[in-house]
Amino acid sequence: MRSFNKNILVLLLLLSTGCTTEFFPETGDNREQLVVEGIITNQEMSNRIRLSRSVPVGSPVIQNPVTGALVTITDERGEITTLAEKVHGSYSTDSLTFRGRVGGKYSLKILLEGVEYKTDFIEMKPVPQIGALYYEKVVIATSDNPAEAKEGCKIYLDSFDPSGECRYFRWEYDETWEYVIPYPVVNRVCWISDRSGEVLVKNTEPYSQAMVTKFPLIYINNKTDKLKVKYSMLVKQYSINSSEYDFWEKIRKISQNVGGLYDKTPVAVPGNIRCVTNPSETVNGYFSVSSVAMKRIFVDEKFSGQPTFYSYCATDTVYGSLPAEGLNTLYWVIEDYANEVPSWWVTTEYRECGDCTSEGTKVRPPFWDDDVRKKQ
Amino acid sequence: MKSRAIFTILILLLSSAARSQEKYLIDWDYKGMTFQDFVNRSESELHVKFFYSGEWTRDLILGSYAGKRYMNEILDTLFSGASVYWYNAGPGNIMLTKDFAIKPLTEPRNIKKNYVPGMDLSTGSHPSASGSNLVADIGNRSDAGKPGTATISGYVFNQETREALAGVTIYVPGLSTGTNTNAYGFYKLNLPKGSSTVHFSFVGMKEKTIDLNVFGSGELNMEMKSVLVPLKEAIIRAGKDITIQRLETGIEKINMATFRLMPTSMGESDIIKSVLLVPGVSSVGEGSAGFNVRGGSADQNLILLYGAPMYNSSHFFGFFSAVNSDIIKDATLYKGGIPARYGGRLSSVLDIVPRDGNRKEFSGNAGISPVTTHFVLEGPIKKDTIYYLITGRTTYSNWILGLLDDPSLNKSRAAFHDLNVRVAYDMDRKNKFDFSAYYSDDSFKLNSDSTYKYLNNIVSMRWRHYFSSHFFSAISVDNSYYRLTMLSNRVPQEAFELKHRINSTGARADFNWFPGRNEINFGTDITRYDVLPGNYMPASDSSIVIPRTIERQRAIEAALYFEDKFKVTDNLSVVAGGRFASFFAMGPQTVYEYNPGYSMSSASVTDTLLFGRMSNYKSYSGPELRLSANLKLSRNSSLRINYNHTRQYLHLLSNTASISPTDTWKLCDYNLRPQSGEQFSAGFYTIANKNKIELSAEVYFRKIRNMADFKGGTELLMNEYIERDVVNVSGKSYGLELLVKKPQGRTRWSISYTFSRALIRSTGTFADDIINGGTWFPANFDRPHDFIGTFNYLHSRRVSVSANYTFSSGRPVSYPVSSYKIGDIVVTGFSERNQYRLPYYSRLDLSIIIRGDLKLKKIAHPNWIFSIYNVTGRDNVYSVFFKNVNNSVRSYYLSVFNMAIPTLSFNFDF
Repeated sequence: MRSFNKNILVLLLLLSTGCTTEFFPETGDNREQLVVEGIITNQEMSNRIRLSRSVPVGSPVIQNPVTGALVTITDERGEITTLAEKVHGSYSTDSLTFRGRVGGKYSLKILLEGVEYKTDFIEMKPVPQIGALYYEKVVIATSDNPAEAKEGCKIYLDSFDPSGECRYFRWEYDETWEYVIPYPVVNRVCWISDRSGEVLVKNTEPYSQAMVTKFPLIYINNKTDKLKVKYSMLVKQYSINSSEYDFWEKIRKISQNVGGLYDKTPVAVPGNIRCVTNPSETVNGYFSVSSVAMKRIFVDEKFSGQPTFYSYCATDTVYGSLPAEGLNTLYWVIEDYANEVPSWWVTTEYRECGDCTSEGTKVRPPFWDDDVRKKQ
Repeated sequence: MKSRAIFTILILLLSSAARSQEKYLIDWDYKGMTFQDFVNRSESELHVKFFYSGEWTRDLILGSYAGKRYMNEILDTLFSGASVYWYNAGPGNIMLTKDFAIKPLTEPRNIKKNYVPGMDLSTGSHPSASGSNLVADIGNRSDAGKPGTATISGYVFNQETREALAGVTIYVPGLSTGTNTNAYGFYKLNLPKGSSTVHFSFVGMKEKTIDLNVFGSGELNMEMKSVLVPLKEAIIRAGKDITIQRLETGIEKINMATFRLMPTSMGESDIIKSVLLVPGVSSVGEGSAGFNVRGGSADQNLILLYGAPMYNSSHFFGFFSAVNSDIIKDATLYKGGIPARYGGRLSSVLDIVPRDGNRKEFSGNAGISPVTTHFVLEGPIKKDTIYYLITGRTTYSNWILGLLDDPSLNKSRAAFHDLNVRVAYDMDRKNKFDFSAYYSDDSFKLNSDSTYKYLNNIVSMRWRHYFSSHFFSAISVDNSYYRLTMLSNRVPQEAFELKHRINSTGARADFNWFPGRNEINFGTDITRYDVLPGNYMPASDSSIVIPRTIERQRAIEAALYFEDKFKVTDNLSVVAGGRFASFFAMGPQTVYEYNPGYSMSSASVTDTLLFGRMSNYKSYSGPELRLSANLKLSRNSSLRINYNHTRQYLHLLSNTASISPTDTWKLCDYNLRPQSGEQFSAGFYTIANKNKIELSAEVYFRKIRNMADFKGGTELLMNEYIERDVVNVSGKSYGLELLVKKPQGRTRWSISYTFSRALIRSTGTFADDIINGGTWFPANFDRPHDFIGTFNYLHSRRVSVSANYTFSSGRPVSYPVSSYKIGDIVVTGFSERNQYRLPYYSRLDLSIIIRGDLKLKKIAHPNWIFSIYNVTGRDNVYSVFFKNVNNSVRSYYLSVFNMAIPTLSFNFDF
């Protein structure tokens, strides 16, 4: 049912000429509401709770941090941990003194300008290991000439909890890919990282076993350069309860309503944080408590039909001597023929063509060769 | 030949017969012979044939024989006093008539001599081409000169196919009075004794005018000849008096002849699209299934095909009507003034009356449009007795999809078919049977791993019995079945098949009785429902899906109704009636009781009750009052008022703005209560400009209780506890509908403007059950301003041009008011529901119909229909959506058709 609307839209487009046009709604109703998000895990790491306020629609969704709150976590034994605001709006536990226990119960309390917010106690459930992480090539367009065929990649996940305890799964992923600028520049090889921007949840209640088969995590089409060199994804698996599942499922329905033919009734997404002082105040977001299992996948196969992003780069050719002023701030050399007579250079005014650190980092991620090491 | 029951006037015969004056000499002793014997003898000895009904002459015995006499003298003597008349229709065909006589008109009638006030026969721009009018004497001539009124009644038939014509206008211009034929083609008219001129008119039929000499009450049956559809039809003046004569407000007859001239969308004539041109009817958007009548939701329309309810009225998710227009004789939309015989839905009844098929000869039609090919075959199995109509339609989109290059599309499949079969048997004059069957299916395979299938079946049988010319009955049984299947096998381990179905079997008996100045309708109906709300099954051997079935719902709905239409005075008619419907939900069923102090949820369950097989675990019932009055204000205008109460025992579970393909039906049960509604309406109707222009204005006010809305984000499929997600809402709607129409002549047009509001309000008391703080807010289909213009110009008999224009306010939508991030997920927060509107909707459609030629003898008559949908190419907005683009929530309009779409279809009749 998930893709039904979208599929109908495709069919519809076949039948008709459907199209979309951007518009700018004037709502005049710009309420700023408190948004709380964060997770307590069993990992040996700092757990973060972020407080922010919602922004009006149309303006960039930046974290609009809420500072100066007193954020505490209480467990079922009555132990209270106060979180420290290390970055504006981001309150974290100390990884040395606090670590979530599987089976433990935690509650979040926030005091902000005299207003108190809190959650019920939430139990940290155990989570099974991720069974398998794998990908499949997707043919986007075929061609008689194999070089012209276009391919994309779909990454799937299998999971299984033999105990049957984990019925609702949630996943998050971090992607990292290597890319190379096709010119002999200094900062040529870089890595870019990104996080999942979609809700990934699965309910296994309809099945006889707590089994997830071929859950699609991501579809990488041929409009990005993620697959050009090498790609990796780290998947985090959480075990959630049914009310958290409902929360994410509603978020998914809102954020993934692509505008099909069937306008869904707008969904209000109440979280699990309530305002004690003023019960009618709406608080967005969810305080999650879960153990985590992680797994990483690498994709370094060749995919055909990958795009070229650098055709616009060469903007000037300079003969003679290279004017020093502005080099590597206003323009960059992407081809250097200084040794020829007369010497000449191809330059660009786009930083991303001459310096990959504009988009990513030059620091090779520590895990980057894990797959190669494993093979050896 | 035992000629029976030729009791109809054939105008063609008449004009040729006027000259036939043969006389037959009878030279045998006929003393004491029955008329039957006399006929047998005459037919064997002379070149004559008698046409009559045996009952008229059963008691007639011929008198003494006094030598050779001419037959005409014998017949005159025999029939005098028996109200039987005879007429020599030429060469040797002697027709008998009961209660009226036929006379050939040898010279133009001197109208001035008439008893009735003088009238101008040449009002129409097309004087009667047949020359002289038909003349008939009604009643016993010996009563001539006696004052008073007489009742004329009879049937009106289509001459070619012998189908009864319902809704024919019978109008007496001299008296400004008239009536319409009922569903059996029967009419009854009160006339003063003396001479009157009566018009019979019906769109698509050649108008007939008959001069009556009324001596007393009698029967007058009429055959009307259809004009070649669609072009010749345009010269016929018709339907003009319907607006004045009907008793109820809010009734719209959609005539096929007019309908066929309308521009099509993608080459398909579509009855639902025509319904949308009726003032007071709106839809959520083009291509959406269903329509909304006077502020009612789309599940509140009863769509009747062959008298049985249709549970899914569209193909292709709403783009095309599921009813093949080839089978439709006419369709009537009751948006107010719903007759007592209809029940079970709140807002409207769309009664689609099928064609019976040609009783006289085989004929057919086939055509092709960009979406479908279709055919019609019809004809008699036994002439005038058993006849059939078979139509079929299929898409060829699968073939087109297979040709596409896109791998995801060429594995997709999208197709629909429908098939209609109808066989009718006229056993004798008093008993008529018909059997109809309808089958339709839709099948979609998307991206080669999910399949959606819709199946719609209707079977209906009817027996019509005519007790007398004033008392009819129709007894019918029908079954309607709708099934929705979703199959997914993307992952074999999770492969499932989900099924929903509704199956209803109904039986009904309707009686029509015409005593005195009354028309009494009464009857009963009973329907048994069997609904499978959802069945979720593994669809492969390796699937680990746990089979799950939501308990089936069974119920019986039974109703009795009675309605009397009577003329209080010549100017005031009243329809008073009502319906008493009961609904019995039957076990086995598990039901939950909830603590009334809390919102229904798993936490507020107080008890679980188990009901056994066939036990009635909940019943609802109540009276539904239906009242109308029609006050004739003058010769040309009338005022009508109407009150309607309706109840509905089933809901369509939907949490989308328009009907979505995954919506399912649900019967009322222990916790889900029936919807009920009341409507008050009033209308003023007038005809102007020498009867050429009709004007009407209607106002209405409606209240609806117990509509079901749903909490946002609820999954309705496979939901066992629907009641926990229902938000009870009430509806309120009101409106003004103005219509000006020129329904006749070479140029015809209509303009309507509707102002209406449709508001709803949640009635719950718990926070979870309240929408928009419990205040009134606009329904999804609330479109305050609606303007519709239609235009049709007959350039010549071969070419006709039509246009439609629709303008309406945009429908309400909800906008998000805030956005925030959870992790990297951007979430939008909505505020109050339906507080904003889409831009206005405007669309112009054009079509040209060109007929190949009009030669009658040609084997096949081709015609071409060229249509342009959305000529101006306006980008009409269908919906809005909100998407996160580069960390900012952007708003988008989605439009379905943003350019003009031309289509060409080809049809030929054979």
